[in-house]
Amino acid sequence: MRSEDERETFRQIALIGNPNSGKTTVFNALTGLRQKVGNYPGVTVEKKEGRIVFDNGTEATLLDLPGTYSLAAASPDEQITADVLLGRAPRTSVPHLVVCVVDACNLERGLYLVSQVIDRRIPLVVALNMTDIAAQQGISVDAALLERELGVRVIPMVARKGIGVNELKQALPNTRSATGKSRQWRLPEPVQRECEELVGLLHDHHRLPDTEAFHEAIELLTADTALLEKNDRYDIELLQHVRRDHQKLDFLGIDRSSVFFVSRSGWIKSVCSRTVTRTFHPGMSFSDRVDRVVTHRFWGIVIFLGIMAVLFQAIFTWAALPMAWIRDGFDWLDAVVAGIVPPGDLQDLLIRGGLAGVAAVVTFLPQILFLFLFLGFLEDSGYMARAAFIMDRLMGKVGLHGKSFIPLLSSFACAIPGIMATRTIDNPKDRLATMLVAPLMSCSARLPVYALLIAAFVPAGTVLGIFSYAGITLLSMYLLGLVAALSMAWLFKKTLLRGAPPPFLMELPPYKLPSLKSVFFQMWERASSFLKRAGTIILGASILLWFLASYPKLSDATPAQQLTYSFAGRAGRMIEPAIKPLGFDWKIGIGLVSSLFQREVFVSTMGTIFNIENAGPGHQGTVSLRQQMKQDRDPTTGLPTFTLLTAICVMVYYVLAMQCLSTVAVMRRETNGWKWPLFQIGYMTVLAYAVTFIVYRAGLWLGVGG
Amino acid sequence: MQKKKLKNIMHPPSTLVDAPIGTRVRIRQLRHARPEMSARLRELGFCEDAIVRCILKGNGNIICEIQNSRIGLDNNLARTIVVSMGE
Repeated sequence: MRSEDERETFRQIALIGNPNSGKTTVFNALTGLRQKVGNYPGVTVEKKEGRIVFDNGTEATLLDLPGTYSLAAASPDEQITADVLLGRAPRTSVPHLVVCVVDACNLERGLYLVSQVIDRRIPLVVALNMTDIAAQQGISVDAALLERELGVRVIPMVARKGIGVNELKQALPNTRSATGKSRQWRLPEPVQRECEELVGLLHDHHRLPDTEAFHEAIELLTADTALLEKNDRYDIELLQHVRRDHQKLDFLGIDRSSVFFVSRSGWIKSVCSRTVTRTFHPGMSFSDRVDRVVTHRFWGIVIFLGIMAVLFQAIFTWAALPMAWIRDGFDWLDAVVAGIVPPGDLQDLLIRGGLAGVAAVVTFLPQILFLFLFLGFLEDSGYMARAAFIMDRLMGKVGLHGKSFIPLLSSFACAIPGIMATRTIDNPKDRLATMLVAPLMSCSARLPVYALLIAAFVPAGTVLGIFSYAGITLLSMYLLGLVAALSMAWLFKKTLLRGAPPPFLMELPPYKLPSLKSVFFQMWERASSFLKRAGTIILGASILLWFLASYPKLSDATPAQQLTYSFAGRAGRMIEPAIKPLGFDWKIGIGLVSSLFQREVFVSTMGTIFNIENAGPGHQGTVSLRQQMKQDRDPTTGLPTFTLLTAICVMVYYVLAMQCLSTVAVMRRETNGWKWPLFQIGYMTVLAYAVTFIVYRAGLWLGVGG
Repeated sequence: MQKKKLKNIMHPPSTLVDAPIGTRVRIRQLRHARPEMSARLRELGFCEDAIVRCILKGNGNIICEIQNSRIGLDNNLARTIVVSMGE
């Protein structure tokens, strides 16, 4: 926090622009890797800042604001942009200068935002981006003329290729007070008159400065007459006046809701007609051709499923090699620590407490990197918007928006990036519903649990000679998670988070070759935040867990006896009455307790309980662990502890239960409080218990492995 | 209100959903129940008098070209955009 205060003495520059105008590319080009990501106080919108170092050695802070089409906000993201520019955001200083990125192919839409900033008298520089793509489409923009029309600097750029970046950088320190020309767009005579009158009143009654009074006047005149009753910002006399204005304008047949927009855009059109020359209209563009197939009713879905198949292949197969390297690395580290620290409690703490816990999580780093590599490519190429478009109908059936699909998909790898990916969803209720169900998707941490139990208890054999029972069981677990997630989303949208799904309205940016640089920037950002978490929260949690599983000490005991005697073991015995109805005994209870923070710990706990040497989180020992689990009998009844039914019940429980401390931590951060993460833990536990109970009872009744 | 309803029954105005693929149509009116939704449509270019071309009709949604960009929107939303055929 200190360093941020110091930095306030530097110049604050804010970067704004339409979505898909290449804003992030401009940001990366200006700041390089000197970036840091945080959150705005009170909201969950990501705050991204970077430092620009100018040629003369001075520095400035560049704040990357969420993309928006206008300063009249619709989503929480856009609200932030408006709040920061208008100086309403808490603990964020008002920018001294705004850089507005405008897509040269879409000057008209970009200028709408530009003109709003100019009207607010905020110093501005326009970065006219993607001039190369515009040229390919036969569009050329006269930047010098545009500069004269607007009264602010206009820098033509191709940020992806680094063209114009230096010019922009040089222009920044020299545009201290470039507020542009005062409002050039004209309102129809009667509206203008009422507006001026209202500005005068706002000025006299409420001491509003003129620029602000003008925007308040627009808002009051556009507002629904019925809603004026609820306005408590202004006195009754003024509101009376506004009501009379409404009647007057309505009588004249002026559409109050569109008149300001139409007036502004009329002026923008005239500016565009002077500055933009269209030399030719390309026929069917590349994007048109691709879209014909990619968003096709039938082929679109086939292509989508194909891409998903490759994604899963990458996450589960290609990532295996680097994951093995990381595991080897940690084994080597274990050996080094074992060589330095003499055997005893300290060595045990370092290796089994600290390193083992962190290793179990960091091992997933390659999967997370692969996921973000793919998502980055899909996003940057323009495909992601199409995926949301294709999936919108399906998601609409459970009350969610097409944009909710990507976060759910990412959650198959890990719920953490999935929950982070919900930030693009405008509607707060939809976003929350998506976050609440994301951990139900079977993440990669559940895979070791499924793998162990399926290998041990699902009989060999095939259905129709192709599909093995093992494969079908695994698939069923994934489907169970998916069905549970969609049903719960539907339920939440019907009850707690009531509200129609917002209309689907999304720009589909033209396809382009993804820029490696921006994809890698994103991967770097995600990877470093993931590692930071592994180094802090997860390290703490695994040490705590190690303590619970190792103390109090029992002298001369086998590891199994020691674990049974420990706090975790006692807790396992203590919860036995509660889990008995699910068909779980105290041994599984210990597994449940120890995997409370991390699901995959179940495998290593089972290893310890069944007294297998070398049963780490890795794969050694699991073959004999299977045998041990199969042969284990209840000492009093002589019946096997584990049956096919128990194994299925354990898996069902693991599909549905929230056993992931990192997810809870991310939920807390993203929702800014404990309410929703606690609710999530609660509902998932109830759901897991109830479904497992039903499955167990149904299994007994059907006579499966009773 | 009553009059308007009757008029609608007699001549149902065509909306963006009815626009044939590839044809350029002119937007006449935005009539979404929520003014902020109409405002959002305007910001994206769907304003009165603008020319729009429907490129593709999918499952319950459409893609159209407006100004110089491609926008995907669902049929319910497209039904709030009244258009007239021909420029």
